[in-house]
Amino acid sequence: MDLGNIASLDFFYPEAILTGTILLVVLLDLVLTNKRALGLVALAGCLLSLWATLQLYGTSGGWLFHRMIVLDNFSLFFKLVSLFAAILVLWMSRGSREVGEVHQGEYSAILLSSTLGMFFMASSTNLLMAYLSLELVSLTSYILTGFLPHNRRSSEAALKYLIYGGVASGTMIYGMSWIFGMAGSLDYARINQALLQGEANHLGLFIAFVFILAGFGYKIVFVPFHMWSPDVYQGAPTPITAFLSVGSNAAGVAILIRFFFPAVSRLGDDGNWMFLSGVEWPHFLLMVSMVTMTLGNLCALNQQNVKRLLAYSGIAHAGYILMGLVVLNNEGLQAMLFYIVVYLIMNLGAFLVVVIVANATGKEDIESYRGLAWRGSAIPAVCMAIFLFSLTGLPPLAGFVGKFFLFAAVIKQQFYLLAVVAVINSVISLYYYARIVKTMFLDFPQPSDGQVKMTAEAAVLLGLLSSMTLLFGIYWGPLVAFTNHSLSFFVK
Amino acid sequence: MTHPFFPVLVLFFFAGSVVLALLLIAQMVGPKRPNPVKDEPFESGNPPKGDARIRFPVKFYLVAMLFLIFDLEGVFLYPWAVLFRRLGIFGLVEMGIFLTVVVVGFVYAWKKGALDWE
Repeated sequence: MDLGNIASLDFFYPEAILTGTILLVVLLDLVLTNKRALGLVALAGCLLSLWATLQLYGTSGGWLFHRMIVLDNFSLFFKLVSLFAAILVLWMSRGSREVGEVHQGEYSAILLSSTLGMFFMASSTNLLMAYLSLELVSLTSYILTGFLPHNRRSSEAALKYLIYGGVASGTMIYGMSWIFGMAGSLDYARINQALLQGEANHLGLFIAFVFILAGFGYKIVFVPFHMWSPDVYQGAPTPITAFLSVGSNAAGVAILIRFFFPAVSRLGDDGNWMFLSGVEWPHFLLMVSMVTMTLGNLCALNQQNVKRLLAYSGIAHAGYILMGLVVLNNEGLQAMLFYIVVYLIMNLGAFLVVVIVANATGKEDIESYRGLAWRGSAIPAVCMAIFLFSLTGLPPLAGFVGKFFLFAAVIKQQFYLLAVVAVINSVISLYYYARIVKTMFLDFPQPSDGQVKMTAEAAVLLGLLSSMTLLFGIYWGPLVAFTNHSLSFFVK
Repeated sequence: MTHPFFPVLVLFFFAGSVVLALLLIAQMVGPKRPNPVKDEPFESGNPPKGDARIRFPVKFYLVAMLFLIFDLEGVFLYPWAVLFRRLGIFGLVEMGIFLTVVVVGFVYAWKKGALDWE
């Protein structure tokens, strides 16, 4: 199916609904006096778009808008992931004191624009479209990062993010120009054909891929494109940090897989993908993955600010997710998809507790978690422990299952070194995650530490996320089936 | 025998050596007579005064940004106008949607006070 502009609209409802909601929120912002209702309007738009996306899931797929974007289960999977992230973050923002002080209309509209960008990132099959969608996500992320008024750290983070993002996307588009020079087209399918004929220069392709990887890597946050993340994560409003850590990470993985698998690789008969360029990619990605997880974990060891700690842990998790790419087969990709869903749930949960504690104490350092279990309700502390142990990868939590699939995929392809490094890293990560748990449960609160209360909304969300973390830890069958079903690319 | 990109390498080498040669010649042959007036920062021939970092109204940025946005969006009307008859009712509807989005943006900017100078 190769559809033109008008015919594509039938398969474009999720994006159209989101766009409509953005405009509606902007307009309502001018007339409504109750600004808190705007968040609800945005939430309703997201739910409607979620419904439309689910309607499309499982259809046969095709190219839309003259092969600019593609409709297949893979893109719909990532649309669902970014929608879930947006919904949970909008929900989380309603209870955040930090966000309560900013302009609600712009906040919701820009958050939805970012989600829309992620939709296109997941589905673009043209280098130009890939670049534009990545820029849409980036620009909205810069604004959201610097959203806190009169907050120097937030502004500084936004500026650093902007400069870093500008350099990364400039490098990426330069790499894309090389690909265009060698393949003669921006269209993924045509690039694939051109590479299949084997006329492209291997060294040239290698250089182009490294450049492009700079742009994708900066979204996924892997070394050496990770430098922005700790400052941005610390400076941004906490719900936005949560959104960046799961949403833009997932969208980056989507664009990376879409480019490196259907576009520049070929699926062999044995179920393994082969890069067409003849360059030793697995070893390159293997190094990147190992360095990323090691650096993330080692830097996290000594952090005092919980958001900063979670930023470094996010770098480490990007390294784990990359493990699935190294093995170059569908099993690895499926493990990546599974891990992304699990990471979304547990990481958003951890950030939700950060929001709850910051609402009560106004602080984000580990000291403000002292004796959290004995200050008012014990529920946030217990849930935080669940999320953190799940991030470490301890059974019987969802993080363990996610890591198990990744490790299994790696070991089956006999990348033993990578598996050993990943296990050692998991052990290292236990130290800093458990340090927070120890502070919450074993340290006693000082009289100066205030009580921690949560709103009913936050409590519901917390219960939902922690029960999902527990549920996927013991009953992961449906999620595996879902990711397995989602791994279908439309190529012809 | 040679690689197809060999001429490019030669070009790189040539460009680099020209730059280097010009710098070296200027360094060796050029006369150097520094005086205090020459060492001052150049400000269109006037004697420089005040600090380089001064405050100026940020309002100009806002106007420039709005101008850029609406100017570019206005430019999109031209290709449509040229092909108006061939695009027919489809073009009209599509342009209507596009203009709605632009107008929403304009109303937003207006209501939020982006057009007020004071």
